[in-house]
Amino acid sequence: MRLPRFFSKKRGHRRTGSREWGVFGDGLFHGTLLLAGLFFGALLVSGVAAPEWRINHAFLESRCTILAKGLARTTVADPPAAVITTWRPCLRVRYVANGSVHESWSDGPSTENTPDREAALRRLAAWTLGSEATCWYDPAAPQTVVLQRGYNWWLWLLSLLLPGALVLVGGSGLVRGLRSWGKSEEHRAASAGFSELLDPLAQPTLAAPGYPAVPVWDDLVNSPGTILRYRLPIESPENWTLVGFGLFALLWNAVLVVLAVGAGLDLLGGRIDWWLFALLVPFLGVGIGGVIMFIRSLVFATAVGPTQLEIADHPLLPGRQYDVLLAQGGTGTIRSLALSLELEEQATFRQGTDTRTEQAVVWKQSVAVFHEVNAAPHSRFEARAVVEIPPGAMHSFTSSHNAVRWRLVVRGTPDRWPEFSRIFPVVVFPPDAEAKEASPRPAGNGEASRSREVSR
Amino acid sequence: MTKAMDSGSAMPRVDMQFDRPHRQHEPHDQISVRYRIEGCEGEHIRAIEHSVLWYTEGKGEEDLGVHFFQRLTDRALLPSATATGAFTTPLPQSPLSYEGVIVKVRWCVRVRLFFEGSRDFVSEHVFTLGRIPPAQLVSSRT
Repeated sequence: MRLPRFFSKKRGHRRTGSREWGVFGDGLFHGTLLLAGLFFGALLVSGVAAPEWRINHAFLESRCTILAKGLARTTVADPPAAVITTWRPCLRVRYVANGSVHESWSDGPSTENTPDREAALRRLAAWTLGSEATCWYDPAAPQTVVLQRGYNWWLWLLSLLLPGALVLVGGSGLVRGLRSWGKSEEHRAASAGFSELLDPLAQPTLAAPGYPAVPVWDDLVNSPGTILRYRLPIESPENWTLVGFGLFALLWNAVLVVLAVGAGLDLLGGRIDWWLFALLVPFLGVGIGGVIMFIRSLVFATAVGPTQLEIADHPLLPGRQYDVLLAQGGTGTIRSLALSLELEEQATFRQGTDTRTEQAVVWKQSVAVFHEVNAAPHSRFEARAVVEIPPGAMHSFTSSHNAVRWRLVVRGTPDRWPEFSRIFPVVVFPPDAEAKEASPRPAGNGEASRSREVSR
Repeated sequence: MTKAMDSGSAMPRVDMQFDRPHRQHEPHDQISVRYRIEGCEGEHIRAIEHSVLWYTEGKGEEDLGVHFFQRLTDRALLPSATATGAFTTPLPQSPLSYEGVIVKVRWCVRVRLFFEGSRDFVSEHVFTLGRIPPAQLVSSRT
């Protein structure tokens, strides 16, 4: 028997890792997670959950007299040079168990331990020497007695959640690996449904019913237009820039505030940490820069005004023409506003440990260009145009790592602001597809890339 | 095209015949193929898989979609070392074969032979679904 090769050849000239070794490594990883989950689960159940469960269910009730009280100290080494000391109230009680009288120090749940000695003393003061109280003792070991019962839900949650998550991830990964062991890639792909359920990182792509690998278009037709049938949703790169700058400014300045509060408290206490102050100066500069960039993006995003695009029908079919309505709100003059139809390919691939996405526009057609567009708050600019999907065009395609996307793109050059672009995705079906409700009305006089201004 | 995925002592060969000239098919067409296995005399085939599938090529990670899959393990149905086989399936509406710049979609028929032991051999035969012209680059970004 020979060992599988570490590398195997893929299509083209790319070498890829051996699938057998990959499955072995995957199984080893998930098996380790599963074992760790079972180990920690058993540890937490036997050390915390089971004793607490026994106290609440197996211990017998009795009456006791409090004879003495004190604090039990627990000291745990905390390397490298410290120790952690915790305190727990303890009571010496006399009680009758299994027909005989016992005297014993009460045990409590270990969670009663507190590092605050004063708090432990306050709890201890609630008990009066010589008074009677209810206690519960272990019938199997009558010298074990407690004066309080109950559950520490936080520990129970921890003991279930942490090992539970490890068992779930490890177990599902192991089952997925075992299910695919020895199967060809076609066999795995043909029975991918259950395996995808077991894979928490799997991102199944939704396909239009009856059209494998053609994306669903429900999200693109759920907004009615004011003049034409549908208002297309927008994908604005500027908005993502705005969100990015906003998040960066927020997180950076939150760190800055924490550092500044620490430095301020030091200052009030009469200490000056020069290193911290030296660190704060460049941090403050970056924080202010982040806020400025965010405000600039915000002003830019709101100053240009919203762009809307309405379309007469959807999904689109090759060789057909569709009326579109372009509307631009806001104020001021836009030197040029161009509407184009584009086909973009998108590929996602791994480079080392990074996941990268590359896009390439492989087809582009200008639909309409408008010059000196004047929009006002009370009357937006509106113009109609006709979009033609070329006959024999590739349909929209999507899979886990690859996509072919059609989109209408509006590019504007405002008078006083940087250029902007707004993207409106559309879905194109395969040629000759008898799409549901795909009965586009022939637009205008049949000329492609024709446009006319109707109002402003 | 015949492709060996695993080298062994014997190199089998699968000759594939499509029912359409130039392996050009249209959506909803019935695709029928006949194949002949040669070159694995003396070896016992324990299973055969027939599949019709699409896969992506290009810059991105490979994606795969199986349209038709059939695994024959019944000894009575398995062909002997030199034998013929055939299968038929209607083709779907999409995805169509596409020769893009960074994304390509290809359709193929695969016959995978599983021999005694852990050795297997796959033979892949590309065909075209639809008539989409090749794409050309306009602009790209990462």
